[in-house]
Amino acid sequence: MRPFLPTLPIATLLVMAALVWGAEIPRTPEGLPDLSGTYDIATLTPLTRPAGLGDRLTLTDAEAQAIAKRAAAVKAATSKASDPNREAPPEGGDGSEGAAGNVGGYNTVWVDNGSGAFKIDGKWRTSIITDPANGRMPPLTPQARKRAAERARYARPNKGDAFWITEGLSPGPYDDPELRPAAERCLLAFGSGGGPPMLPVLYNNLKQIVQTKDRVLILNEMVHDARVIRIGGEHEPPDIRRWLGDSIGHWEGDTLVVDTANFNDTPALGNATRNLHVVERFTRIDEKSLLYAFTVEDPTVWTKPWSGEILWPATDQRIYEYACHEGNYSFAGILRGARLLEAETLEKQKKQPAK
Amino acid sequence: MNTKAGWLLGAAAVCGLGLLSVEVQKVYAHHAFGAEFDPNRPVLLKGPVVRVEWINPHTWIHLETTKPDGKKEVWMVEGGTPNSLLRRGLKRDTIRPGEQIIVDGYQAKDRSNRANGRDVTLADGRKFFMGSSGTGAPYDQPGKDQRK
Repeated sequence: MRPFLPTLPIATLLVMAALVWGAEIPRTPEGLPDLSGTYDIATLTPLTRPAGLGDRLTLTDAEAQAIAKRAAAVKAATSKASDPNREAPPEGGDGSEGAAGNVGGYNTVWVDNGSGAFKIDGKWRTSIITDPANGRMPPLTPQARKRAAERARYARPNKGDAFWITEGLSPGPYDDPELRPAAERCLLAFGSGGGPPMLPVLYNNLKQIVQTKDRVLILNEMVHDARVIRIGGEHEPPDIRRWLGDSIGHWEGDTLVVDTANFNDTPALGNATRNLHVVERFTRIDEKSLLYAFTVEDPTVWTKPWSGEILWPATDQRIYEYACHEGNYSFAGILRGARLLEAETLEKQKKQPAK
Repeated sequence: MNTKAGWLLGAAAVCGLGLLSVEVQKVYAHHAFGAEFDPNRPVLLKGPVVRVEWINPHTWIHLETTKPDGKKEVWMVEGGTPNSLLRRGLKRDTIRPGEQIIVDGYQAKDRSNRANGRDVTLADGRKFFMGSSGTGAPYDQPGKDQRK
């Protein structure tokens, strides 16, 4: 009996292959997966898994529903009207932590970080990080621990004082605009929003992909970071350094693999250094979504590489311009405020000389 | 530890959605909120909106207050990012000059007439469209850019 397959026309084979692979996805004229579109990656699934969940990668439907319901309830509760006869907040601060800095912070209207967890392969995820199995970054190297400890010397609740003067910390955290974080200076999205790896943050979580035969552009809404990925070729010489690194891509089957190196000294990813190396994998899994997977390595920071994945769902929403420098009054205010507190502290020290 | 509670706590810490919005996030000092506003200078501002700056990274609402001696002052209040507000159907002209608002917050450390919008409402207490403060860097490493 003659073999069956060779008698079929090539086109039929391709269609059969597409059906077998379930590859009903948009394609470019070259036949490559078409990744272009706008995606909203906001999610309540955290980057790092809460320690209490151990190696558990997924949530049950009931758990995921409970989380979404609770988030909705929090939003509803914090959107309620306030007392129109309320007083000013307490002197000394309202005790709020983190981003709120003891002066109160983002309210519900402001935050835009999704309404639920995300699903991959039909299962709700507990964290973006998948490797190590506990969903948490591997331990820091001794040198990275030392750097983190050095930074921690500057970390404390906001008391409205010039602690760097009274505690003799030099340089002070506000001595020079270039000492301030890149996001505060409108140079990069915070939280590695612009990546790589490109992670969800508190708001402005939209990404737009524009694809040609030899370039893929990813526009990040937050601080409008734009990555232009060359398809094929080699990295630029390592003496050319970039905020977002140098990205080159190639296709492995239907997956776009992007390799990024040659970062400058302060990549957006927390703790990372100029030795950061990121490999990302973009796969269009259906008409409405991409699977975004990544592996991070920086041998001067983490004791081993770590990986994660997150769904990028397409959205009908549009990206708005986020021209961060436009009205960044806060930045000058921060520096002016520090000068004023310093002058007051020095004046006080002059009046009360140390015993 | 209850795993669900653990999850929620983790989600709150990383994604910023906790019982009181992001106020349960871990301490990251040198962040714009803490850097910009003085916890020792609480303010309660009431008066009509005189101008809306619909700009990035965050909106600024100007309102006119009246001091006990009758003297008028214009204060600027820092609010949410226009991108998020647009997605909620709010626009540049949603808040018109003359609208009476109430703001509680803290004055800027530089002692200018600027405050964070800790809670911003209309005269009857309904929430105004905005949040608060900062240059939008909640996850930055403390002193990440510190020079050695």
